[in-house]
Amino acid sequence: MNWFASALPWYGWAILACVPPLILMLYFLKLRRTPVEVPSTYLWTKTIEDLHVNSIWQRLRNSLLLLLQLLLAFLLLLACLQPGCEGENLVGDRFIFLLDQSASMSATDMANGKSRLENAKTEIRNMIDSMEANASAMIISFSNESDVVQSYTKNKSQLKQKLAAVRQTQQSSDMTEALTAASGLANPGRTSDRTSAIDIQVADALKAKLFIFSDGGVSKVPDFSFGNLEAEYRPVGALEIPHNVGVTAFSISQDVDTESGVQAFVRLQNSDDQDHSVGVTMLADGEVFDAKGSVAVPQENSTVMSFDLTPLLADFSDPIQVEVRIDNEDVYMQDNVAYGVIEPPRKINALVITESNNFLRLAMGTERIKKLVNVTFEPPQHLQSKEYTEAASLGAYDLMIFDRCAPEKMPESNTLFIGAVPPDESWSLGEKQFPTTIIDTLSTHPMLNAVSMATVTIVEGGALSGPQGTISLMDSTYGSVMAIAPRAGFQDVVVGFSLIEFDDDANTVINTDWPNKLSFPLFIQNSLTWLGGASKFSSTSGTRPGELVRLRTRVPAESITVKDPSGRTTSLKPRKDKTFVYAAADQAGSYSVTNSTTQELDQLHAVNLLDTRESNLAVRDELNVGYEEVPKSVESVPARREYWTWVILAALLVLVIEWYIYNQRVLI
Amino acid sequence: MSTASETKKTGQQDVLLSPSLLAQLERMELVSRKIFRGRMKGERRSKRKGQSVEFADFRNYVPGDDLRFIDWNMYARLDKLFLKLFMEEEDLHFYALIDGSASMSFGDPSKFQYAKQLAAALGYIGLCRADRVKVEMLNDAKVNTAPVLRGRKNLWRMLDYLNGLECGSNVTLTDSIKSFCLRNTGKGILVLITDLMDKTGYEAALKYLISQNLDVYVIQVLSQPEIDPDVTGDLKLVDCEDADIAEISVSQRLLDRYRQTLALYIEQAREFCMRRDISFMMTSTERPVERLVSRYLRQRGLVR
Repeated sequence: MNWFASALPWYGWAILACVPPLILMLYFLKLRRTPVEVPSTYLWTKTIEDLHVNSIWQRLRNSLLLLLQLLLAFLLLLACLQPGCEGENLVGDRFIFLLDQSASMSATDMANGKSRLENAKTEIRNMIDSMEANASAMIISFSNESDVVQSYTKNKSQLKQKLAAVRQTQQSSDMTEALTAASGLANPGRTSDRTSAIDIQVADALKAKLFIFSDGGVSKVPDFSFGNLEAEYRPVGALEIPHNVGVTAFSISQDVDTESGVQAFVRLQNSDDQDHSVGVTMLADGEVFDAKGSVAVPQENSTVMSFDLTPLLADFSDPIQVEVRIDNEDVYMQDNVAYGVIEPPRKINALVITESNNFLRLAMGTERIKKLVNVTFEPPQHLQSKEYTEAASLGAYDLMIFDRCAPEKMPESNTLFIGAVPPDESWSLGEKQFPTTIIDTLSTHPMLNAVSMATVTIVEGGALSGPQGTISLMDSTYGSVMAIAPRAGFQDVVVGFSLIEFDDDANTVINTDWPNKLSFPLFIQNSLTWLGGASKFSSTSGTRPGELVRLRTRVPAESITVKDPSGRTTSLKPRKDKTFVYAAADQAGSYSVTNSTTQELDQLHAVNLLDTRESNLAVRDELNVGYEEVPKSVESVPARREYWTWVILAALLVLVIEWYIYNQRVLI
Repeated sequence: MSTASETKKTGQQDVLLSPSLLAQLERMELVSRKIFRGRMKGERRSKRKGQSVEFADFRNYVPGDDLRFIDWNMYARLDKLFLKLFMEEEDLHFYALIDGSASMSFGDPSKFQYAKQLAAALGYIGLCRADRVKVEMLNDAKVNTAPVLRGRKNLWRMLDYLNGLECGSNVTLTDSIKSFCLRNTGKGILVLITDLMDKTGYEAALKYLISQNLDVYVIQVLSQPEIDPDVTGDLKLVDCEDADIAEISVSQRLLDRYRQTLALYIEQAREFCMRRDISFMMTSTERPVERLVSRYLRQRGLVR
């Protein structure tokens, strides 16, 4: 390491070395003392003698000015030599800082007790400081969405200012968008919008260095190439895996055995390499409802525990907010709590348009369904009536089932079509084919929960195709025979085969034996509970932080007020489809929705992160993007960090002190 | 010539002694703490019985006594010879010595001028009381140069002499006092007006005076710049007498130290004098002579 930038020849050093003795000499020669005649020097001599004898400090004080002058000269010489040391300077023209602001970055496991995000920001700030003057940089922050905090600029103070404004979010992390934004600006011919058909060159084809500041807990970026980007992964977080037990799943469901009870299931995840034992408290509407102490969570494993919430169901009319909380504090507090909502039971209204389909009547006539649903059966002629038009446009029914018929216009409710397709052009039913063999069912879908089609025989059916976003629920040899598609807040389920047909003589012909199987009433029950929204109680699993929340009020409302966990309220107006869209649900917690006109609580909405990846606080050693591993090594070239400005400042300070002391002496 | 000298005299008189001061001084009298035998009959009582009009005592006649002092009335009544004794009135020797070293020329008014004024004032008191007054500037002369004066009419001679004095003689205090003592043996009051700034010391000189059995008063005159120096910066101080050099960088601490040294010096002198029954006082040239004489010296018992 070379401390001085100016390399002087030996005589240069010699001249410099002469300066201090020269000052010393001048100081002794100097001082043109003004001669003053006095009556007698007797007392003065005595005084001076006394002073000299008495204190060595006096001598020092006398030469204090000399010392200060020497110091000043020394500092000035030092400044001329451009002192400095090797600093970590960033070499390059363009830098992109990708800053992870996801929930796990809020873990306060750093040595100084600060969060990972704060530390990453400090590191980036230092890097901005060590950027060369003509280098430009941009900052992109990302959680599950990305934000170009600052586009390319050379203005370091602006970069730092914008950097300081990056907030901690409570969201999961996904780099894809951020990488695309970074890459789009670095690689010409690509835009930051990958889906855009038009390729516009938004920046010069200049190589840029990409620094990814993250703890590595990001979802996989399956298909990405860095191109001109030279990426570098800077892991943020403690080397040792911090202790953390978090709630990674929370669900409330009906007790399978008794059907009358409600249970809450909580999964506790331990991401570190030690066994932990934690206390878990269940709160209902903010009050402790149940608690369990010392729940053992083995290392790098999870424990599922349940709470019986049945007592809560006894006569309740308003939604209940439940909250599960881990009592032990750790470095990452966000996953120590999860929220849920139990909605009061509500009987739904269902309209079945069918022509003498007794299977449907039978399936919907069970005691259990009668408790949950008010079913109205109407013949297809009813579609033409005024009552129907009104009810359809107001959304009076939660579910409409069309058996071998279709309305002219889609109603404002969820629908189930059997043997017919919605009047929308995007739906089509292919030619009837025979035979129809079911080869696959999407059994994970709630519509087909516990529905087995293995022994079902279907005579004729047609292949379905639906609008964009259609999911096939049941595939046959010739195509999808059951599909579900979203429609502006509603769901349409279409079954491509009918249950019964009428022959030319108006006799009933059975098209399938499905109604005779156990799976049919289950399917109808699923349709009513899931599609119609009927259940003894309903529990909403909620959304994740940062997601759009689509709200449908229980009774139609002119406007609603949403109050977030921090108490901030937002007023919302309904959209055309009578739903409300709330976009500010970016913190976990319970959101209450109030009808603005009646001031009555309409519903609660829970927002939870519940992300295993975010709860795992281990800093990942490697970061894979596409098929590449992002190099972790820290590349920096030795560069000088110069201190001469500080030396000059010190010299100025010395000068001021010297001036002050000199005046003190002269003015007394 | 006479006109010029007249004017000069008047002027000098004004400078040294103002008329009001003169009037004040006329009512005063020099007091000796010891009573000394004078050479001539003066205006003050002597321990000796003499020929004044004031009766003192009787005593028996012994052969050899002056017959003129026999109280013949007594003899007629008692048939015994008694001598009638009277109080003797005699004069007093008064010496005022002015330090004439170069250091006395400092101050405004100069210490020398101040000393001359003081000497003139005290001398005038003595003249008024028919004392034997001698005002002299210290030097190492082997012969007496200063006139011995008596009587109010000699005021002009005294002032003339004082006005003719110039300071700047380069004699140490000890040498000049020694010389004075050799020349003058008379007992009486001696007032030494000096700044005591003598590097060889003042102790020996004062001891000479004590050995002469004189009633000694030391009045130390200092100028204001000496008491409270008004100097700043880096200075080279040059001694006006021996050109000695002291280099100083003035600081508050130095000035404080100087004042301490000065105070200590004065205190030492005062103590030295006190131990030897010498009356000592320090005065600044800022203090008017009138006040010094009428208040301070009266308090000290030099005048009344």
